[in-house]
Amino acid sequence: MINKGNLPPGFKIERSESNSEEFFINMGPQHPSTHGALRLALRMDGETIVEMVPHFGYIHRGIEKQAENMNYLQYILLSDRQDYLTAIQNNLGVCLAYEKALNIGVPERAEYIRVILQELGRVASHMVFFACFGGDLGGQTCLLYGFKEREMVHDIIEEVTGSRLTTNFFRPGGSTFDVPDTFIPRVKAFIKHMDKTMKDYERFLSKNIIVLERTKGIGILSKEDAIAYGCTGPMLRGSGVKYDVRKNDPYSIYDQFDFDVPVTYNGDTYDRYTIRIAEIHESLKILKQAVEKFPEGPWRAKEKPVRLPAGRYYSAIETAKGLYATYVVAASGDKPYRIHTRGPSFANLAPLNKMVQGQKISDLVAILATIDPVIPEIDR
Amino acid sequence: MGIVNYAPKILDPVPGGKYLVNMIDYVVNWARANSIWPLTYGTSCCAIEMMSSSMARYDIARFGSEVFRASPRQADLFIIAGTITRRMAPALQMLWEQIPGPKYAIAMGACTISGGPFVYDNYSVVRGAQNLIPVDVFIPGCPPRPEALFHGLLTLREKILHETCRSPWKEGDVRDVSTLDRYREASKAWLALERIKDEEMAEARAKFKEENPEYKSAYKPVRVKKEEFPEVERKALLGKGLENGFLSAAEIFTKTRDRFNRVVAKDMATEAIDTKSEVESADDCLENIMKYPVDFPLELTVNAEDYLDVVKFMRDDEDLKMNFLIDVTGIDYEDHFEVITQLMSMDRGHKVFIRVPLKKNFGIAEEKRANAILAQIPSITSLYPAAEFKEREVYDMFGIEFTDHPDLRRIFLDEDFTGFPLRKDFTNPHMIRRPL
Repeated sequence: MINKGNLPPGFKIERSESNSEEFFINMGPQHPSTHGALRLALRMDGETIVEMVPHFGYIHRGIEKQAENMNYLQYILLSDRQDYLTAIQNNLGVCLAYEKALNIGVPERAEYIRVILQELGRVASHMVFFACFGGDLGGQTCLLYGFKEREMVHDIIEEVTGSRLTTNFFRPGGSTFDVPDTFIPRVKAFIKHMDKTMKDYERFLSKNIIVLERTKGIGILSKEDAIAYGCTGPMLRGSGVKYDVRKNDPYSIYDQFDFDVPVTYNGDTYDRYTIRIAEIHESLKILKQAVEKFPEGPWRAKEKPVRLPAGRYYSAIETAKGLYATYVVAASGDKPYRIHTRGPSFANLAPLNKMVQGQKISDLVAILATIDPVIPEIDR
Repeated sequence: MGIVNYAPKILDPVPGGKYLVNMIDYVVNWARANSIWPLTYGTSCCAIEMMSSSMARYDIARFGSEVFRASPRQADLFIIAGTITRRMAPALQMLWEQIPGPKYAIAMGACTISGGPFVYDNYSVVRGAQNLIPVDVFIPGCPPRPEALFHGLLTLREKILHETCRSPWKEGDVRDVSTLDRYREASKAWLALERIKDEEMAEARAKFKEENPEYKSAYKPVRVKKEEFPEVERKALLGKGLENGFLSAAEIFTKTRDRFNRVVAKDMATEAIDTKSEVESADDCLENIMKYPVDFPLELTVNAEDYLDVVKFMRDDEDLKMNFLIDVTGIDYEDHFEVITQLMSMDRGHKVFIRVPLKKNFGIAEEKRANAILAQIPSITSLYPAAEFKEREVYDMFGIEFTDHPDLRRIFLDEDFTGFPLRKDFTNPHMIRRPL
């Protein structure tokens, strides 16, 4: 029992006589369903959560401090290790900021390579979400299925970039290498396979009665809260805001493709799940168009030494989790004065306290799974 | 191995008992080596590869290790997957102590061997898991492939098969070896080897020249023509919000300047803002804005006194409608900090970055300055709830106090951490400079 008024740091609701039987639970930093080294301090009333305080920093690696002593290209390597599920997308985010600074464009073939790899990365990340979401709800089968299709994506990514997870592939003006001849046939085969298996996926969870019971009306995030807390990506679109950086702040050649931005309006756990399934469909739609139009030609622009002129450069991209923004402050010399990353997971976790209040502890696991946070990207 | 360890004591005096002991060893080891249960522990990238290895394609069940246990009390193997930070280290050691012996540890990935990409200029990463717990197998890679993890498992299997009840498992010692010392030793040995090689080569060359004075090399260097790439012009794409009503940078500036006459837009290449300089005229500022490419967000320099009002004005104004906070961050300069608040309008699509220069308070004694708060700025958490965590991050990294913040604590580092890492003059005993 904790004394009145003597609450652990972070808890805000004051103690009174009526809630004197509350107790505190510590979840993490090493817990299978916190998706990494995240620690949640829970204030419980029976099985109901009264308040939650997240504690970060268990995987704080000081990337931003390290970046001050690296040159610009070396930093791309560290961007891989922030959100490792969407490493290939983070690479692009950093490169776009550099391209703005150097004022260089990208040839058409390179743009297509970028778009195809981006969408493959998005599908792979959502597959991990599907796997972990199912696994956290208690369905081991989803884990096996989600990772099965993900391996196909990683085969393609490995063939192109030489690495499965930490790709370090894009450079200002294009990419490190051209894609091999087998690239397009493999992507085509993947799309064909995915179209078929997506039906299986939806049959697994989307209409599963246990999943519906555990997710419908749980962890509701209102539209106003989603914007006020700075949520982006599927979190925001699950709450009914049709904002997608690819449409609303276009980069690369996303303005040339025909795709929809799926939106759902309830803002509960189930909606955040369905939005990701719909996004996989949209990604496949973009992939189909990109594969058809994939051009020949140069795959990178003329090489320039990466020394940014003094100034401040900002780039924003839509990763699988939301708005990934890079802010580069360049001074003279070949090293950045400061590089700051705005990761989507950090902002998406902000409303968690509000969402879990009054929910059961097992629902917290489901809610956390649909936020789909990657902790090293929060802590950096 | 418990009771089995008494087998030699009982059986050795019996005729033929030694063979029986060997038999027991064989059976027990066969069972142990083929059912190593790992603990579910993963902090970063390596954890994903560890998960992949247990899924359909790679199927760790072939090696008897598919039963990932969430509780350390049920596990025998600790696969340390991912970077270990100083804040995580006590938790890791506690987990290790909770695993009942005989227990084994695999250090997976470069971070757990030496610190990997986070060796230099780093104040928070532990350079190698062997500094914390005894490690049996190291797997290099960043991250290692699932096949590499299997190789590590098989290596560990070999190790287990070599244990007998005469020489049972013993907990190893923690080897508190500084990574850097190991690097230095390795590089010294490597340099000595290279020198010997060079000398031998030079000798051989001289000898060859003496023996064949008329020899001419047939080698002709071939120049590979570098592929030529074109110069491409960058296309600046303009964003659009959910509704119409996008305002250009100049329009936003004039609107704000009408209300607050100290708001200034600097030239893009201005490195640091001179806090003393006079307020530029509106026309100069507009000229500066015209130089921006269209897809660059407008950057306004605002005084600390005006800051809260400006943000409030931008949020509430009908035309600006900045309802979304992208980020709050800071920069450290020699005599001042700069706090940057990045705002966006989700409906209209325009962005404004507000730069607030904050003079450092040099009234504090120099030796205390490293751990002291040097500047203050009002918090905007009441306007944007999203700012709560971001402002805590700026406080943690720079030591800038946000007044009226509901819960201002360190967010990534421990409460008793000394110094603020992202200040340029930050020093830490654990930090090693990158040799250039």
